[in-house]
Amino acid sequence: MSGGAHPRFEVVIGLEVHTQLRTESKLFSPAPVSFGRPPNHSVHPICLALPGVLPVLNARAVEFAIRTALATHCSVHPRSIFARKNYFYPDLPKGYQISQYEDPIATGGWLEVAGLDGPDAPVRRVGLTRIHMEEDAGKSIHDAAVIGSDVTHIDLNRAGIPLLEIVSEPDLRSPAEAAAYLRTLRQILRYIDVSDADMEKGHFRCDANVSLRRPGETALGTRTELKNLNSFRHVEMALEAEIERQAEVLERGGRIQQATMAFDPATRRTRVLRLKENADDYRYFPDPDLIPLQLSEEQIERVRASLPELAEQKCARFQREHGLSAYDAQQLTGSRPLADFFEKAAAAYGNPKAVANWMLRDLRETLTALELEIEASRITPQILAALMTLVDAGATTARSARELLPVLVREGGDPAALVRERGLEAVSDTGVIEAAVAAVIAENAENAERYRNGEEKVLNFLMGQVMRRTGGKASPAAVRELLARKLAGKAS
Amino acid sequence: MSTVFETLSELSHKLASREVSAVELVTAALARADATQSTLHAFAGLRPDRARAEAAQADARRRRGEPRSPFDGVPIAIKDNMVQTGEPTTCASRILEGFVSPYTATAVARLEQAGAVVIGRTNMDEFAMGSSTEHSRSGPTRNPWRLANTPGGSSGGSAAAVAAGIVPAALGSDTGGSIRQPASFCGVVGFKPTYGRVSRWGLVAFASSLDQIGVFTRSARDAAGLLELISGHDPFDSTSIPEPAPELRPALDGDVSGLVVGLPKECFVPAGVDPGVLAAVRDAVAELERAGAKVREISLPHTRYAIATYYLIATAEASSNLARYDGVRYGRRARGARSLTEMYERTRSEGFGEEVKRRILLGTYVLSAGYYDAYYRKAQQVRTLLRGDFERAFGACDVIVTPTSPEVAFELGAKTSDPLAMYLSDIYTVSANLAGIPGVSIPCGMLRGLPVGLQLLGPALGEAVLLRVADAFERRTPHHARRPESSP
Repeated sequence: MSGGAHPRFEVVIGLEVHTQLRTESKLFSPAPVSFGRPPNHSVHPICLALPGVLPVLNARAVEFAIRTALATHCSVHPRSIFARKNYFYPDLPKGYQISQYEDPIATGGWLEVAGLDGPDAPVRRVGLTRIHMEEDAGKSIHDAAVIGSDVTHIDLNRAGIPLLEIVSEPDLRSPAEAAAYLRTLRQILRYIDVSDADMEKGHFRCDANVSLRRPGETALGTRTELKNLNSFRHVEMALEAEIERQAEVLERGGRIQQATMAFDPATRRTRVLRLKENADDYRYFPDPDLIPLQLSEEQIERVRASLPELAEQKCARFQREHGLSAYDAQQLTGSRPLADFFEKAAAAYGNPKAVANWMLRDLRETLTALELEIEASRITPQILAALMTLVDAGATTARSARELLPVLVREGGDPAALVRERGLEAVSDTGVIEAAVAAVIAENAENAERYRNGEEKVLNFLMGQVMRRTGGKASPAAVRELLARKLAGKAS
Repeated sequence: MSTVFETLSELSHKLASREVSAVELVTAALARADATQSTLHAFAGLRPDRARAEAAQADARRRRGEPRSPFDGVPIAIKDNMVQTGEPTTCASRILEGFVSPYTATAVARLEQAGAVVIGRTNMDEFAMGSSTEHSRSGPTRNPWRLANTPGGSSGGSAAAVAAGIVPAALGSDTGGSIRQPASFCGVVGFKPTYGRVSRWGLVAFASSLDQIGVFTRSARDAAGLLELISGHDPFDSTSIPEPAPELRPALDGDVSGLVVGLPKECFVPAGVDPGVLAAVRDAVAELERAGAKVREISLPHTRYAIATYYLIATAEASSNLARYDGVRYGRRARGARSLTEMYERTRSEGFGEEVKRRILLGTYVLSAGYYDAYYRKAQQVRTLLRGDFERAFGACDVIVTPTSPEVAFELGAKTSDPLAMYLSDIYTVSANLAGIPGVSIPCGMLRGLPVGLQLLGPALGEAVLLRVADAFERRTPHHARRPESSP
């Protein structure tokens, strides 16, 4: 049973994700999509809903929607309709949001979620109901501390930014599975370069529908909707809390009321925002300012041809072409920049497995310690390959090479030059090594004796002592050879 | 010499020959607008200083021999629902008080690029909702032919300004007849092009799928010239037709021989129409026959559903289009509200007039969950049938002729307490908007001292054939040349 599943009920979860598309301009306006601009400085008369303005659809956003649909095995419809969702709110300038309702751009796909029940568990196929395009609203700024009064301010920089809404089938069976689904979806969106899908920045927002039923029941229970979950951790925590709440109600013989819920991370409890009985009537109707979106088979196929290789395909190919283990291949295809780095480094260096080892151990540890993603670091595949080649050539030692990784990650640079500047050349001067060997044998007479009496593994300890004495710069092969020779009593 | 009542074409020649200057024309137009404002009230606002300065620039261009177009320097008026940079746009509504536009409508920009000088914004029914120009925050416009009567609406200010000889041409907008009906009432040419021919960018929306900008002029030739200027694809309007502006003036050769004129039998029944109007229209048809056209009865069987269909679709779209007037970003905001809801309610209650509120309520109801299928979806289906009626009809004829309005200009106040009677004033005009086809109203006679309008409808993109017939009719009749005697 996967984590977070309930012992007495079957959990049924469906997720609605809103992800921000990384277009240069807004969905229906030429205003730039940009961050950190002062409020209301990334707007156009269209974003402000001035009298007389009309929406003009951003072709790039359509292309991104098609990409997403194809990458998730959805059917892209040759004709889709933009509709108006009418409601009053100060940060909704037109009094309606342009969205898609009856005829979305894509329906009926799936994505494969791996490793829910451990690394060897089969992948699970999670259905997608639909994908549609819509525009974001602006922001209401209520915080009195920020503006020093009780006036609400409106920032319309975000108004009109393109979003994709991606709706899953109620196929998820535990909070952990929901989180795994979200990670997979985010990975796909990043792979195909349509969205940064950064949850913390609000580029990737999630609403969750959850209901419970007794094992064996086929009808769905009454569901509640959890709104505005803004981290993977919150999604799991909120679902756990809501499942617990629903289970308690049902076990008391109570009835679940259809409602929109909010999650409070501080108390780890969910509470009712509003009951569905008083749900808004959005008065959807086709937007008469926009003609139906018509897509030809050729347009769709052109986008399909431009799709990059996805993680699952890459993972299989890395095993096949580069002889990597399934685990290593999966780790290296976790993000596109990581996979691209690996392939370039493997090509430059020539031994893919050795590159994988360096990347998944030493480089990964360095990146984790520096809290950097590979794409944000200055090390390039060529730098890593050059570094590994220096070690192979005996110009420096593996230990020295590892020491250089933090500086290469932070600043980049030429490994050979850095080795020289920092005096990290492997010591091949036999005089220096011999002196160190002689000193170590003298200081460790007891251990030397044990080696001579047949305890061969003591040699490793003695080698470590010599390496320490030479500051890790001695070539390990030379040390081993000299040490063995001296211990055998053939000191010259 | 007076240039009042001269056509655009005549003024254009006089400007070219330096018989008159743009400053003289614009000054005269402004003076006449001022002089008639207390009686006619055709304008919502004038821009005398800017208009005179623009006229002076037009004269300078002519002196340099670099006029922007034959219309460089002619005075013109625009309806108060088209935005122009730096100018107020109110749509005759309190809710847009204080709004000044930072951008210019495409149609207005194309006029500016041709050198035409906008002297001011004309009065209208609030948000173009009405058929009499009585639903205006600044009061009604009066008919230059009889001041006790309405000029029609909603573009009544534009129609009156052209009919009274203030400007030779004006822009209007037509959602259900708002150009053609006032043109009929005021005895001028009023042309509504094919939906999508003229960009709606910068036209304040009433009902997006029906709204279309068009022109008021004193001749078919002038209408052709202006339409050539303002038509053509605009990337800022997704519903604009991806075609360049059509060449229309070559069609004005007076020849209608062999052309088939269709008379829809549904429009020539005596019920609900003034017999004098029908008689004038029949006379006009006879004149076209004498000019060589063939007349043929046709049928538009779904016409009787047109008004109901129109008022479902137009109000539904309006209820959504007018949601943006919420007091948050521009225009009027009610003072002293203690909550957001109260601010919305009071802003919109104070800001909108009765007719606009009525239509917002109707439209909101039409789109409500549970009623959408019965009203909005059904209306769209009927709209498809109406389009089919016209497609079949234009398989059998080149143009369709009907009265523009079932009556001549009625008295002010005659219908303000009976909205349904007011709505029926549009009975001959709304079908063209529902079908998206072009239509024109031209003067075709007088009845009890008031002009009667003849409506010509053409197939989509058939502007040229309508102008050909209108021009041929003008050549053979005196109606377009009559001037209102009571005009101040």
